Amino acid sequence: MTAAWITAGLLGAAVLLASVRLILWHRTAVTPSPRRLIALLLLQPVCAVLLFLTLFPPAVTTGGSTLRIATKGTPRLAVAAGPVIQLPEAPDISAGELVPDLATALRRHPGTNEIVVLGDGLTPRDMEAAKSVAVRFDPPPLRVGISQVAPPAIVAPGSSFSVGGQLSALPRATVELLDPAGQVTDSVQPDADGRFTLTGTARAAGAVLFSLRVRDGHRTVEQASMPVLVADSPAPRLLIVSAAPNAEIKYLRRWASDAGFAVTTQMSAGGGIALGDAPIVIDAATLRRFDVAIIDDRSWAARRAVVMGAVRDGLGMILRASGPIDAATRGQWRTLGFGLAGKDGVAPLALPKPPSPALARTRQGIGNDDAPADIALPDETLPEISRLGLTPDGGDAVPLLRDAGGTTLAAWRAVGMGRVALFIGIDSYALTLTGNRTLYGDWWSAMLATVARPALGINLITTSGWVGERMVLCGLPAAAQVERPDGRMANLLPVNGCGAFWPDKAGWHLLRKSGDNPPTPFYVQPADALPVMRAARDRDAMLMLRPPTPGDRTATLRNAPGSSWPFALGWLLVSALMWWLERARIGRTIAPQSAK
Amino acid sequence: MSADTLLARWTKPAKRRVMSDSLALALPLIVAAAAVGWRLSGIVAAVVVVMVGVAIALLFARHRAARHDQRWLVRALDASRADMEDSADLLFADTSTLGPLERLQQARLADRIDSDSPHSLRPDWSRHLILTLWIAGLIATGLVIVWPRPGHGPPTLAPSREALPATPGIPRLVAQNVRIIPPAYTGLPSRDSASLDARAPVGSRIEWTLRFDPQASVPAIQPVGGARLVLRRDGANWIASRLLDASFLYRVDPASGRGPTPPLHRIDAIADSPPQVKALSPTASLTMVTQSQRSWSPTFAATDDYGVAATARLRITLAIGEGENVTFSEREIAIAGSGPARDRRFSPRLDFAALGFGAGGDMVVQLIVRDTRQPMPQEVRGPSLILRWPSPKQPESGGLQGMVNTVLPAYFRSQRQIIIDAETLIKQKRRLATDRYLSRSASIGGDQQILRGRYSQFLGGEEEGAPEAPTSDGEQHSDDDGHDQGGAPRQSAPGFGAPEDVLADFGHPHDDSPASSLDPETRAILKKAVDEMWQSELQLKQGHPDLALPFAYRALRFIKEVQQATRIFLSRVGPELPPIDASRRMTGKREGLASRVLAIAPVEGRDGPAAAAWRALGDGPGAIRGAIALDALERWARGQAAHLPDPLALSGAIDAVRRDPACVACRARLRALLWTAMARPPAHLARRRPADSSGARYLGAVGGGTQ
Repeated sequence: MTAAWITAGLLGAAVLLASVRLILWHRTAVTPSPRRLIALLLLQPVCAVLLFLTLFPPAVTTGGSTLRIATKGTPRLAVAAGPVIQLPEAPDISAGELVPDLATALRRHPGTNEIVVLGDGLTPRDMEAAKSVAVRFDPPPLRVGISQVAPPAIVAPGSSFSVGGQLSALPRATVELLDPAGQVTDSVQPDADGRFTLTGTARAAGAVLFSLRVRDGHRTVEQASMPVLVADSPAPRLLIVSAAPNAEIKYLRRWASDAGFAVTTQMSAGGGIALGDAPIVIDAATLRRFDVAIIDDRSWAARRAVVMGAVRDGLGMILRASGPIDAATRGQWRTLGFGLAGKDGVAPLALPKPPSPALARTRQGIGNDDAPADIALPDETLPEISRLGLTPDGGDAVPLLRDAGGTTLAAWRAVGMGRVALFIGIDSYALTLTGNRTLYGDWWSAMLATVARPALGINLITTSGWVGERMVLCGLPAAAQVERPDGRMANLLPVNGCGAFWPDKAGWHLLRKSGDNPPTPFYVQPADALPVMRAARDRDAMLMLRPPTPGDRTATLRNAPGSSWPFALGWLLVSALMWWLERARIGRTIAPQSAK
Repeated sequence: MSADTLLARWTKPAKRRVMSDSLALALPLIVAAAAVGWRLSGIVAAVVVVMVGVAIALLFARHRAARHDQRWLVRALDASRADMEDSADLLFADTSTLGPLERLQQARLADRIDSDSPHSLRPDWSRHLILTLWIAGLIATGLVIVWPRPGHGPPTLAPSREALPATPGIPRLVAQNVRIIPPAYTGLPSRDSASLDARAPVGSRIEWTLRFDPQASVPAIQPVGGARLVLRRDGANWIASRLLDASFLYRVDPASGRGPTPPLHRIDAIADSPPQVKALSPTASLTMVTQSQRSWSPTFAATDDYGVAATARLRITLAIGEGENVTFSEREIAIAGSGPARDRRFSPRLDFAALGFGAGGDMVVQLIVRDTRQPMPQEVRGPSLILRWPSPKQPESGGLQGMVNTVLPAYFRSQRQIIIDAETLIKQKRRLATDRYLSRSASIGGDQQILRGRYSQFLGGEEEGAPEAPTSDGEQHSDDDGHDQGGAPRQSAPGFGAPEDVLADFGHPHDDSPASSLDPETRAILKKAVDEMWQSELQLKQGHPDLALPFAYRALRFIKEVQQATRIFLSRVGPELPPIDASRRMTGKREGLASRVLAIAPVEGRDGPAAAAWRALGDGPGAIRGAIALDALERWARGQAAHLPDPLALSGAIDAVRRDPACVACRARLRALLWTAMARPPAHLARRRPADSSGARYLGAVGGGTQ
């Protein structure tokens, strides 16, 4: 029972009462006029119906309307094609209605079922409102610049990281990564689609800004900050097991110890003699104390069950080939989920071309008395390193390392809570002896970081925020605060775990949640940074809005309420006529005389 | 008097006067121009300017003098001499073309002309112009000479840009000048720098002239990490000087610590770079002598930032000889270079005959140049150039995988000689007397004996033993009787076997003989050859060369076989290891073998003060927004100066942040410099984060696990 029905019932009752009253009044009249009575009785329901329609006007059946919305970059000539509604970002085209946002425009123009967006597109502010209507949008071509860039996630101190991105409409540009001192650490030419990947190296822990510079010839097209958070994680507890002492183990142990890992080395020298660190019994209990284990093929085959049990409980394992493997080992590795493709035996490994000495020096930083900077500069000649002919491609494994020829050197897969990686390089230690210790460190830390047991630590929000643009921060408990770069705090009011934040200053912000967790940093770009990337993001969001469909028109017609003014006017006229019929003296001239 | 003589006599004084006048006009201009040229680029330019100026002046004077020709003379005479009666041109007219009246007038004029001197026609000096030009020229020359050049004379002070707030009563730097006087050997002029930051060559004298307001009492220049430099008062200014030996940072301290700390300034020392030597020709380091070449002229170019010494030394190394018999001789000769001081060319001519360079030798030359640095010149050795005179019979021994060793010497050929001799003797048998025939046969037999003896040596000398009696049967001699030491004493072979060869005389060498390097098959063949030689020798000594021939031929055939077999091929030992015998594993003695702990000490890899300060200066986690303690960083930077790319810039940036901790630009600059001052540590791990509860449930469901 709605308000309309109640009103209709009341009106019907009123019409009945009025009709009874009229008939009684007619009976008692001195000079009854039946024609006048009939007219009044007929007019009563008409008046009631009109009143009802005034209160509840019927839906307009003539269809919804289309609004033209001017956004940023709307050409002036757009006014000529019809009236427009100007959002705040639109240029001043001095014609059309000014609205603060799209929702206001839609409220002022009820019945709008389709909008035509002119210019570059709507901003995130208006996306929610635009979801209720069909959007007609012809995206303009992107301007020249960086259309997409992916800053790295948390980077460990000393490790190298990659920055991927894409350029729009720049076929012959050069993209450079500048370190915080402004030195070029990498320089590439993007591919045909404009995609590029740059490599940088981190140093000590801290928040740091690299820069991405796009150059076309000698002209700098765009330069943008590239936030990188360098944060240390708990040092992993590493177990190295080898069936024989060899150079690979020696240099692995040295590298891992220098990197600060807790290393336990177990090398069997045959006949029950073990070298390395104090002997331990390898069982489920001891393996639980380790985060990651590097095991060669023979040692693994001997302890398969206990090691794989530990991996299922979360241990990371790197399986390493000590030389060409036999058919039995091949079968066991296939069972692990690594599709071993290729030939048996050993094949040469294609090493990447070392970076130029200037770049290598920039990436390496200074030396000290014990290790001069030159020690990490690559030799002219590349070392001869071999690998298994079988590559861990296919199967369930995810490629982890590739050599310069594109061959997969290492792959990993999840086993229970843990992960297993397979490395097919055989004598990678030769890298450290020829000045390529950077590459050696990159390989092994990439493998260890991928498979090692997870650890709690600092988190990072990598989505880009811009000054003056609403950010949504999620995963919040009841109370959370954001510390701005200048130290001011902003309280967030989370709803369903997410809170909005309006940054007003570029730089590193810290999201502090209640509790003792380390704060979560995020970087806010200046308002004018990466304009093409912002435009591309908004354009993509625009293209995901609902375009008009043929069935739109009929579907949206019913909802539009009609105007009540004509009915109100009709009701007034009818009411006036009724009043006149009741009160007029025409046709009753005798009556007053008789009344006298 | 002819017309030409007349013309010459009357125009000469005028021409001379005009020439003198022109030169008098030009001289001050030339002098002024020469002074400008001398001032701008030295005495050479002045001489060139003078020569060009004089040439132009002479041309100009001649041009002016040439205008005083016959037409001018006629007009001048008509104008100045009334007695010429406006008909002076008759003087130069051809008499034959004149009428009688004209001739009469010509004669009258010729008489009258000498009544006045030709000097009266000289044009006057252009006195005003000469005076004006001389005055102007002298003034210009004087100005050019005494115009103050930068770096000389009293300096002009530039207003200070330190922008320190004025504090009443505390002196403040208001004007400064830094004069840089480079060392004389650089040839650079001294110059003034308006800024307190400067770059100067090492060894320059830096002179500061400073002015303070209000007047300072004990101002000083305070280098960072160095001793104070006290300023000396000179009128209203304060001066100090210092010899630049290394780059340094300093601040001008007007009030000995009172008042605000002034900013740092930097004097960069530009080190004198050592000379660079490049070989222009030949471009390759190894050159071969061409046919009929008698001398060699390599060309070197030596460049330096200030100047290469005019003479250099050329080290010539001669390697003469072949194989192992090479003698080296080394000598150095002084050679003079040509060209400008900064880019000299050295092109010595090396005569082969004078140096004693011949076929089969190498000549290596190296240029040793010095620059002009004082007090110690820098010496640089250039690239070595090799000139090779190939030997005519150089063996091509490259590319052999093994070594070919000819064990048997070349005198194996003489068995063929014995056969030839024997065949000749048989042919001559008829013509020879019998005793002569026998003696010649015996002498060939003697040769055969010597030869047999030599071969026996390869078999351990055992065949050498006793020459059997002619009656004995040679076939009885077998391998088995080799130890027969008895018998007749050994015959000594002339020219073979040394008397002091004690071992051969009394010993019994088995293993040291060359034959021990022979394989058994070769040895057996050689034995057969020696046996045949025995028979051949026997027949020859008995006077039967015809009977000896078959044995000699057989011996030759065996020797040929031995020669074929005695090329010994020694292959290099490859990486092929013998296969592992698994059955022998773990079967040896194992006493004293036990598990061992191999200690390892990781290198110290913690962040230093640089990383701590770098974090503090940023705006991320660990940032400190107020003042930062920079003492530890400064100490560290001083200790690491050898490794830092620019320690001075770092010190300056530290100082800037200390002075003004709120200066955002200073902090950013220090942070950027600290990035270059940090080493990249060994890569740590970025650990992945634990899966949340639903993720853990998923992984557990997919792969099992007990947790």
